[in-house]
Amino acid sequence: MAEASISKGIVKGIIKFTFILGTGFLLLALLKKILPAASVDGYRFFPFIGSRDWIWVVAQLHLNFAAFVLGVPIFAVTMEFIGWRRADERLDRIAYDFTKLFTLAYTVTAIMGSIFLISLPTLYPKFIDYMLKILGPTWWLYLIVMYFEVFVCYYYFYSWKKLKEKKGFHIFLGILLNVFGALLLLITSAWVGFMTTPAGLNADGELLSRWGAIHTHMWLPLFLHRFIANIVFGAGIAAAYAAFRFITAGTEEEKAYYDWMGYTSAIISIGVSLLLPGVGYLLGVEIYSFNEQMGIQLMGGFFAWLWVMQAILIGFILFSINYYLWISLHKMPGGERYFPYVKFLFIVLLVSYAVWLTPHDVALSLEEARRTGAYHPALGKLGVMAAKNTAVILSYLATFLSFAIFRMSNKEPSVTWAKAGHLIRAAIIVISSVGVLALGIASYYVSAAVRVKVLSPIQFSLFILGIAAMFILDHVMYKGARVIGEPRWGRMPERSQYALIAITVTFTWLMGMLGYMRAGARQYWHVYGVMMNTSPDAYLPTHGVASIIITIVTLLFFVLISLVFGAIIKLEKIAGGRNG
Amino acid sequence: MKTGIWKLAFIVIGLNLLFTFIGLEFLPQSESRPPKVIKIEKGISREDLINVGEEIVFGKGQCMVCHPVKPESGMRAPAMSGIGAEIEKEARARAITPEEHVLEALVNPSKYIVKGFEDIMSPVDKPPTSLSEGEVIAVAAYLQSQGGKVTLSFPESLPLLEEQARKAGGK
Repeated sequence: MAEASISKGIVKGIIKFTFILGTGFLLLALLKKILPAASVDGYRFFPFIGSRDWIWVVAQLHLNFAAFVLGVPIFAVTMEFIGWRRADERLDRIAYDFTKLFTLAYTVTAIMGSIFLISLPTLYPKFIDYMLKILGPTWWLYLIVMYFEVFVCYYYFYSWKKLKEKKGFHIFLGILLNVFGALLLLITSAWVGFMTTPAGLNADGELLSRWGAIHTHMWLPLFLHRFIANIVFGAGIAAAYAAFRFITAGTEEEKAYYDWMGYTSAIISIGVSLLLPGVGYLLGVEIYSFNEQMGIQLMGGFFAWLWVMQAILIGFILFSINYYLWISLHKMPGGERYFPYVKFLFIVLLVSYAVWLTPHDVALSLEEARRTGAYHPALGKLGVMAAKNTAVILSYLATFLSFAIFRMSNKEPSVTWAKAGHLIRAAIIVISSVGVLALGIASYYVSAAVRVKVLSPIQFSLFILGIAAMFILDHVMYKGARVIGEPRWGRMPERSQYALIAITVTFTWLMGMLGYMRAGARQYWHVYGVMMNTSPDAYLPTHGVASIIITIVTLLFFVLISLVFGAIIKLEKIAGGRNG
Repeated sequence: MKTGIWKLAFIVIGLNLLFTFIGLEFLPQSESRPPKVIKIEKGISREDLINVGEEIVFGKGQCMVCHPVKPESGMRAPAMSGIGAEIEKEARARAITPEEHVLEALVNPSKYIVKGFEDIMSPVDKPPTSLSEGEVIAVAAYLQSQGGKVTLSFPESLPLLEEQARKAGGK
């Protein structure tokens, strides 16, 4: 498909999108005519499963694909740039493979978006009318930006080979693609931000300032959080794709390439995810400053147990990536020198995981609230944020160490100060770990405000400083290092690839759950405190029911994404056949 | 190769089933429904009014989200136990009546912040809590009952509440 001419490819792409979008608008108009009028309070009901669950599944699927197609171009163009500057063909190939993935996924994203476009105004006409009244112009801006995005996306993809000699311009296209992608994310974040933390309205919910309705408490932190999470998710899917290709590879050369692709993608995913607690903190601060009650309700109220679930999921992801990195030591000549350290990292991860999983006591009934108060009588001290923040940071620190060990395991520093360098490295690890632990203990003795606003940011900064210092030190110390042997890419047991798949599945599930929590923070409001949800669906289901729906979304997503993977393999075979 | 794909599918499905199992079996199962309107009859006895207030404090009012039952370190808002006595003490210090002080704390909470705490509470008569006038008085009566003398009643205390709401710039 990349052999098609650039203009033909772009025109085909734009026609395809216009057709998908046009069909959506047409069906929307048709359904409005065919279906009976909405109920007095503005609802239509989706048969069998109900409107809320239908919208939930469609919206989350659309979000998953959107996250993927907005996240992957960021590191695709980064890889292309680095590959260009270093004249590294392998990096160019991986960037092109990423581009194939998101270009094909665009179509699925558009189809899901179109189904969402039909469903929401049909089932919730009054709510959508209100949203259009407040933020209508941003919707038209969204459509315009989307067309620019589609144009640049197809231009970027179809011109990959033809602009090989004009790499600078091609990279500029990639950057432009990301600018439009970020704009789309900014617009959609404004919608969600308004629904959750509305502003710019008078007491009757009438518009006072459109800019105020866009620039809500949640807008920019949500954008930032999604932007980072999209990269993490996109890289995770790319890692899953690489694992899929590794397992199905026919030659050793292919295995080596996809092993490397899987490693690179997984490291991008986990590496960028280090930023998520920080931006999540910013998002939390804004929610609290909008409405303390909403913040606490989200963090410690009805959703409290889902944070325990989040701990289970992130802990599982961290264990999987560490396991993957520890197995990877086998392919590094000299890697065996580090085997004895693995058990210590495992213990740190295990203890941190146990603390992280300890639930904060959540009273579910009046009687229970009276009996136990706010904390669990026995495990209370471990179930609070002071302990959990510390556990999370320490497990991330252990993960970074696994990565640092893997990266340097086939090298011997040749600088004269290598011994001192190793000591400094150990000192950095000890100082940052002890510092994080000490700040965690100190957090018990201060007010919540001081813990949240002062100690937690210092704790997180100490962690970031620690890994930045280690990164710089290793970079300097291992410059010109003696290489014991090149990594034996491709020589990995299959089970390592299952770890990569497990990371992606878990992350997709986690994204579904956090999306539900973010939407659920509004409780029984379409627009928090402004427009009440009076439909029969205006309640939060049990965590069990929510888990079933998140699983349905995740499984559907994996079915659809494997179709995209399959389509790429098929197209490669066709292209290979033509070339052959 | 085919075995590998089946194994992949097994992992995808297996993990999803595992997470669903945890969600169904290990997490508490309760729904969060919109609060029901609590009907408060005119002339309700003080005892019943306090009981209704307690139900709101631990239920639809979501007060327990910030206010713990007993004082504890790092609490975001004053504890419930003994709050009635505190209300009387603070009212004396401000030279207003305990009724005015407790009703103001509910509908105009930014006006007076207890030392050591931050201005984080939203008025309970406004969205999202949106308590009715009767419900606000019931909550105030319950707060008074925590170590203080209950002096509020429904509907007799309505003019006092309206006065505080007016001062807050509301109804």
